[in-house]
Amino acid sequence: MRVIEPWVAEPLQRFLSESSARLVLLTTASGQVVAQHGFTRALDVMSASALGAAIMASTEELGRLTASGASRALSHQGPSRGLFLSAFDLPQGRWIGLVVYDRDSSLGLVRLFFDRLVQELLAVAPKETPAREVLAADFENELNASLRSLFGR
Amino acid sequence: MRADIVGSLEAVTRVRGVRGAMVVSAEEGLVVAESSMEGIDGAAVAALMAGVVARLGRATEAAGRTAPAFVHLQAEGGALLAVPAPRDLLVVAVTDAEVNVGLVRLELRQAAEQLA
Amino acid sequence: MSNEDIRVLTSQLAGDPSSLVFLPLGEALRRRGQLEAAEKIVVAGLTRYPELAEAHDLLARVLSDGGDLERAFDEWDIALRLDDRHAGAHKGIGFLYYVAGDLPQALDHLEAALAADPGAEGVAAAVARVREALAAPAGPSGPADSTRPPLLATPAPPPGAADSPTVFAGLEGAQDGLLLLDGNGLRLGGGLTAPDGSAVGDAVAAHLAGVFRDASRATRLLSLGSWTSVAAETADANLFLCAPAPDSLLLLVRDNSVPIGRLALQAERASEAARRWLERPA
Repeated sequence: MRVIEPWVAEPLQRFLSESSARLVLLTTASGQVVAQHGFTRALDVMSASALGAAIMASTEELGRLTASGASRALSHQGPSRGLFLSAFDLPQGRWIGLVVYDRDSSLGLVRLFFDRLVQELLAVAPKETPAREVLAADFENELNASLRSLFGR
Repeated sequence: MRADIVGSLEAVTRVRGVRGAMVVSAEEGLVVAESSMEGIDGAAVAALMAGVVARLGRATEAAGRTAPAFVHLQAEGGALLAVPAPRDLLVVAVTDAEVNVGLVRLELRQAAEQLA
Repeated sequence: MSNEDIRVLTSQLAGDPSSLVFLPLGEALRRRGQLEAAEKIVVAGLTRYPELAEAHDLLARVLSDGGDLERAFDEWDIALRLDDRHAGAHKGIGFLYYVAGDLPQALDHLEAALAADPGAEGVAAAVARVREALAAPAGPSGPADSTRPPLLATPAPPPGAADSPTVFAGLEGAQDGLLLLDGNGLRLGGGLTAPDGSAVGDAVAAHLAGVFRDASRATRLLSLGSWTSVAAETADANLFLCAPAPDSLLLLVRDNSVPIGRLALQAERASEAARRWLERPA
């Protein structure tokens, strides 16, 4: 497990231990990676974070268009693995969690422990985060720095 | 149909010592229907008990046996009982520590049969 | 009881399988020596009334008549757990202890039977006889009758086993159907074979570690306290899982003619054996 924000580590470790998830990715709504577990390639992390952010944005827009309200969580069951995607709000802004699990876990367990993860993150997240203007160059540098950190380089 | 399912669960909850009953999707561990689950986290029961039953099923399979037809998890402060039902469902009861397990099992089985 | 009476009881039971008429019917069949039929009737009744001490007492008497003294002991033991003043169960267990030569235990139980039912047939005489035997000068205790095998005897360990005592030596299922494992899913002792004869103890042990973890997590998160056991019935077997010591698990597997209540009892004995084995000096 690798985290950018140290206060994420303990709650995320507990989530991994209880849920038996195979892959976990926490990102901001814009796709900036905050923490990951189980991914072995930086490219996969980048792709997953971009796709996750896009899916949540599309789902929210669809909800708005159809007046069905914003959907905070999605799930997909594949032949051997399941995928769970959920957005949640912290003082730091909206984050997205992407969880992949196999038969060692279940959607019910992932949801149960993800809800607890969100509550724990809310409890330990720093309350005041200064707003920053993100420039394109800064964003790419930050992403690369994040990825290096997440892969221990 | 949902009214029938809830009706079947009410028969389970009428057994003295039963605190709540539910129908759960076994693979996903999600609640399908529930009865009298006040003070009980139904989603947690569904997810956790489905996990126990699935894990036990893999153990019995490794032992060359068929899947469990009844599971009773006893704890110091209560118990969880489950019976599989058609369409990959489980009927689950949450009970006090002291309960007539035989009677709960019977009612769970009847509820499961009505889900066919 | 006449044939006609038995036909009437049978028809009543067929018309209402949840009726308690299985008790007098089972008793009638037992008295006529139809032990196999009596056992089936009572076992079926016990699936509906597993906490009925009378039913366990009746089954014990059927088993005892058939010579299955160990199972009879188990059933009377269950009856006493359900009703610690059950005269019939005290009398039955007292008799078994007497046969096994354990006179102090025999006397305790027979006196309890007499206290619970002063008019019980033969109990007063049995109490007097046991007291006489206890008061007699020290010598071989127990009855001279050697035709009945000793109850709950521990068989001699197999050759070569003296240096490496097995966990469940002397218990029913010591080689197959009893499994001790650690919290990591590694088998510590016992064994298990699948119906096709293949050894599956190690594979099952690995899976059971996950059951252990999931059961602990479920009861903890649902505020039910520590888990104490997991029992399961399959189409062809009954299973019982418990933790004899921290970070160890015990599994009992029997075919499903053995009720779960009896498995629980056997698990207690096996747990004691496991604890002694785990605590022995390395």
